Amino acid sequence: MNFKHKYLFLLPGLLVLLGILIFPIGFTVRLSLSSWDSFYPALDFIGLDNYVRLFTDDKRFWEAFGRLSLLSLTTVFLQYVIGFSLALMVWKEIVFQRFFRVLFLIPMMTTPVIMTVIWRTFFHESLGPVNDLLSYFDVTPLWLSSELLAKFTVILVEVWQWTPFMFLLLLAGLLSLPKEPFLAASIDGAGPIRTFVYVTFPLMAPISIGAIIIRLIEASKIMDTVYVLTSGGPGTATETSSFYIFIKGLREFQFGYSAALSFTYLIIMIISLTIIAKILVKLMVRGN
Amino acid sequence: MAKIELQNIAHSYNPQAADKAYALNPFNMTWVDGGRYAILGPSGCGKTTMLNIMSGIVQPSEGKLLFNDVDVTKLSTSERNIAQVFQFPVIYGTMSVEQNLAFPLVCRNFEKAVIVAKVQEVAGALSLEGLLKKSASKLTADQKQLISLGRGLVRDDVAAVLMDEPLTVIDPDLKFRLRRQLKEINQKYRSTLIYVTHDQNEAMTFAENIIVMDAGSIVQVGSPSELFERPKTTFVGYFIGAPAMNFFECKLEGSHNVSFGGASIITETDLSKTGEATLKLGIRSEYIRIVETAGINTIKAQVQRVEDLGTHKLVSAIFDNQNVKIKVKRDQEVPLDSVSLEFPARHCCVYEKEQLI
Repeated sequence: MNFKHKYLFLLPGLLVLLGILIFPIGFTVRLSLSSWDSFYPALDFIGLDNYVRLFTDDKRFWEAFGRLSLLSLTTVFLQYVIGFSLALMVWKEIVFQRFFRVLFLIPMMTTPVIMTVIWRTFFHESLGPVNDLLSYFDVTPLWLSSELLAKFTVILVEVWQWTPFMFLLLLAGLLSLPKEPFLAASIDGAGPIRTFVYVTFPLMAPISIGAIIIRLIEASKIMDTVYVLTSGGPGTATETSSFYIFIKGLREFQFGYSAALSFTYLIIMIISLTIIAKILVKLMVRGN
Repeated sequence: MAKIELQNIAHSYNPQAADKAYALNPFNMTWVDGGRYAILGPSGCGKTTMLNIMSGIVQPSEGKLLFNDVDVTKLSTSERNIAQVFQFPVIYGTMSVEQNLAFPLVCRNFEKAVIVAKVQEVAGALSLEGLLKKSASKLTADQKQLISLGRGLVRDDVAAVLMDEPLTVIDPDLKFRLRRQLKEINQKYRSTLIYVTHDQNEAMTFAENIIVMDAGSIVQVGSPSELFERPKTTFVGYFIGAPAMNFFECKLEGSHNVSFGGASIITETDLSKTGEATLKLGIRSEYIRIVETAGINTIKAQVQRVEDLGTHKLVSAIFDNQNVKIKVKRDQEVPLDSVSLEFPARHCCVYEKEQLI
């Protein structure tokens, strides 16, 4: 087989890659250099004007990005802590182990948008059951229209929805760990806390980092929960980057500008996730 | 250190089944305090199960385990005060070498001064002094394995150090050094060392006593020379020695004689009480001599091939459709056609139903 034949076999894969990955990104970059909007729907060329506007005259985007960082880091941290705890709980032989393993996975199997509608109904400030119950104590928090509580509600729904995913990855990790380090710790006289600190956690570090990064990537795209639950409100209190890009692109039809936002957002996410991954490796894989 | 007794110990992984299969058949065994033992056998023979029963990882389905006459059968691993070195080095990667060695003492709330002194002592014995401040995860596989061993030795009250094929991941040249270190440690601390391996060379060079196992049973316990000279079963004869012992189907001929292929072989074994007419004659390839003329206890075999193995030559011959292997010195000339082989009587072992008579 000569050299050219190899490319012939690679061609279908390359074409698919080009079609689904490179072309959309390339088109987004090109679109970001145009002023395409509902008034002037054409692929003109305006240079870096959209980017200049983004960096000099769009405080709202950066505020949304700050909010996204807060929401995604908080939710993923909580998902990790809760997911790890649940995984540790059903890792060892316990009564109804299989039942609990399935139970903890149920939220992940539900449709996010539908579950968010249910959560919105729960937390509805005048009609929802949560405030109905709390009214007995003369408390009726503004779950969706207070700046702070709206963020809390978004975090709560996200944690409920996606902790099972973290649980699943971490449980799979725990089940794949070798048993000798645990036996050695037991022989050395280590109790459960020392065994966790010196054996379980270090052994789980690579899996934990992978799980955290996967969830951070997903959490940074948070859109449906915000859209259904608060629509970014009250005001812009829960507006995240992706929701803001959605508003600019699909509500205000500023396609050129929203493409610039998307591309900038992509670059920032790649850089920040790389930095986060490096920090996590440094923090969690101390021995190496 | 402790005397370890296994009383009618047996283990089945399905003890409730009507026709339960034993991974370890019932047996009795005593490990003398300060002894150096090797458990040797092919994969799946039950040697790791036996080790795990002693360490508490596996609860035996039958029998009792005594440490210094105290029943520890139901005690957990940590309550038994044993140390175990696994096939692959187990270290605490987030700790330094010093912290690793100190860990069993820290867990048992020893005073700091005692911990420091003990760690220094063990590090000295294992030649790890220069590495104490280094991160344990940065060490080589053999150094990590030494740390695993060191964690067992820092405790004075440890009943025994159990090792499950600990040198598997070690380079051949380092294996020799580590085995020597293990022997020195055994002599220095008088710790009972129990070493599981499937490598007969490791067992023979390390242990004072070897326990040979096959299919869940102990087939022979003895010193390396006993196992080599007088294997109790044909299995031990095959398993110990390289090449394996030569075995020949033979017939009973007299009170000390057997014959095969028309040749009569005199042995030092009293065969007068033997009921079986068909026996097996076993002799090590090291003890068969090539002689110039046929005489008493000789056979005339056809040489098949001669292999130079560096330290010696291995001659493969055939007699009466049975293979014979002979080890000779490198400089010895070997005829390439027929050859007379002498079987010295004192090295001939006779087996009835695979058991040494």
